[in-house]
Amino acid sequence: MLRVISQGFMALSAVLLALPIVVVCGAALNAGRTMFFPPKEPTFARFYEFFVADTVWITALSHSVLIAFASAVLAVLIAWPVAYGLWARGDAGSKLLAGLGSMPFALPPIVFGVGLGFLWSFSGALGSIWAGVVSHAALFVALPIVTISIGLQSIDRAHLDAAATMGATRAVAFRTVILPQTLPYTVSGFFFALVLSFNEFIVMFFVSASSYSTVTLQIFNSLRNGYTPTMAVAAILFISVSVVVFSAIARWGDLPRLMGAEPAKT
Amino acid sequence: MSLVSDTEVLEDASASAPPRQISVAQLVWWALILFLCLTPFVLVIAISFGQKIEGAAWEWAFTFANYERVFVGANWPEQFTVLYLQRLYYSLFYAVIAAVLAILTAFPFTYLMTRLSRRAQSIWLVFILSSLSLSEVFIVMGWDVLLSNRSGLPMVLKETGVTDWLKAVGWFDTLREWGLANPRNVKFKTSVFATVLTMAYLVWPYAVILLYPPLSRLDRSMVEAAQTMGAGPWTVMRTVVLPTMRLPLLGATLLLFVFLLGVYVAVTVFAEPAKQTMAVSVYEAIRGNTLNAPFGAAQAVVLLITASIFLAMGQWLSKRTAA
Repeated sequence: MLRVISQGFMALSAVLLALPIVVVCGAALNAGRTMFFPPKEPTFARFYEFFVADTVWITALSHSVLIAFASAVLAVLIAWPVAYGLWARGDAGSKLLAGLGSMPFALPPIVFGVGLGFLWSFSGALGSIWAGVVSHAALFVALPIVTISIGLQSIDRAHLDAAATMGATRAVAFRTVILPQTLPYTVSGFFFALVLSFNEFIVMFFVSASSYSTVTLQIFNSLRNGYTPTMAVAAILFISVSVVVFSAIARWGDLPRLMGAEPAKT
Repeated sequence: MSLVSDTEVLEDASASAPPRQISVAQLVWWALILFLCLTPFVLVIAISFGQKIEGAAWEWAFTFANYERVFVGANWPEQFTVLYLQRLYYSLFYAVIAAVLAILTAFPFTYLMTRLSRRAQSIWLVFILSSLSLSEVFIVMGWDVLLSNRSGLPMVLKETGVTDWLKAVGWFDTLREWGLANPRNVKFKTSVFATVLTMAYLVWPYAVILLYPPLSRLDRSMVEAAQTMGAGPWTVMRTVVLPTMRLPLLGATLLLFVFLLGVYVAVTVFAEPAKQTMAVSVYEAIRGNTLNAPFGAAQAVVLLITASIFLAMGQWLSKRTAA
């Protein structure tokens, strides 16, 4: 009896969680300009519009992709020394540095976005793509810091001892022991930052100053004019990217462990 | 041997390494993090003391006028306005209800999920992370279609006769009093209900992710011991699981609450004009019609301080959990 209730509850949660996503994705098939669900006169014309015909969307998509990739790379590069310092030294200074790095992610993004808007307008970079890239790197640097820290903690200290006994220098031990063992965690951190940057819009709104737009920003800006099925195509694209990325992390990395479960007993 | 800290071992190995000192690289990293992660907040705080000059610009100053306007209104002391305090109130109001709602429903779900096989957990996590990362704009779009009068839930309720049934039993009038119905049918846009529902949905996957570590590390042997001694599932939940989960639950609620303070799209789309939040008025002041950057910054600081207080409380709780 209890088993049935439990499974029923989980199924209900899954359905409710999927419901708005399914509705948006379904609405992309509408032939007309209005979002109906179930779609009226289903067609794939909106996909053609989004990916081929309408240059606004293609430009926006290319900005989204560029910013997501570049900012995720930058976030990982900034995060590595921070996480390493936290693990190797673990002193108050490195804890403070990691804390400062996590601050933008923990506080309301609208406040950070407003602040970045001021920062870039003073330095004259407001509205440039690279300012957008750096902004997202700062916003999401917390994610690789966390995943890389988890990776470093999972290194078997006996391996380091063994390397040291065999005469490995710090640099060699780093390259042969630390780097390979933390690689999956680094990649996971990269993808977390990538996916979240891809979907973020409020910080980008203040930083882009309307001189360029990403896909989510484009949708955000047309909020008041109402949604169209073409935007729903973007939703399909975005949810697919997320599913593929997180499936890859689950396949090649240890997702339960990354999310904080006990290490798997092998 | 593992008692020796690794840094010592590595330093022994590379005896030629210079003694610990602050390197150039470390300085560069500090400068980088301070510039990128701290200066934006410092600027917001500094500009909140500035003043607007006619036109669209502002200048540096040291005035509390912007804060005064937030808390007592621009024409204080002749006139007392609560407009912006009200916005802060709605920020807190929506965030509290949505956070508690999300935790209450996510807790049993996560508890059940952690009892599945590791493989099944991975699949659930992929699903939950995908929905977590999906942009707020798409989620609001989805609920907008679901709750809209033409093609959403109200239409379904009318077609299936639920609306007529509600009218027959007289509950329809209650719904109208709550603002959830117009004379003809139920309506959810715009209402507190729709706002809170969407916000709870937004943080629900986040709630699962936050409750996942403590629940998956929960000592199963305690649960089993209680079961062997004849405790039913509810007794186990009440006497074993909930007491150990009290602090994580509170901590997670606080984090969700802070996250929800900054929600923008869901509020602009689903909340009535009179019930908008502070995040919305920050946006309006800085990029909207009013164009008053210092005033927007002051509101952002109020939001920031509110968030920091609750984050600090959460931090304190998690320290107590660890101890």
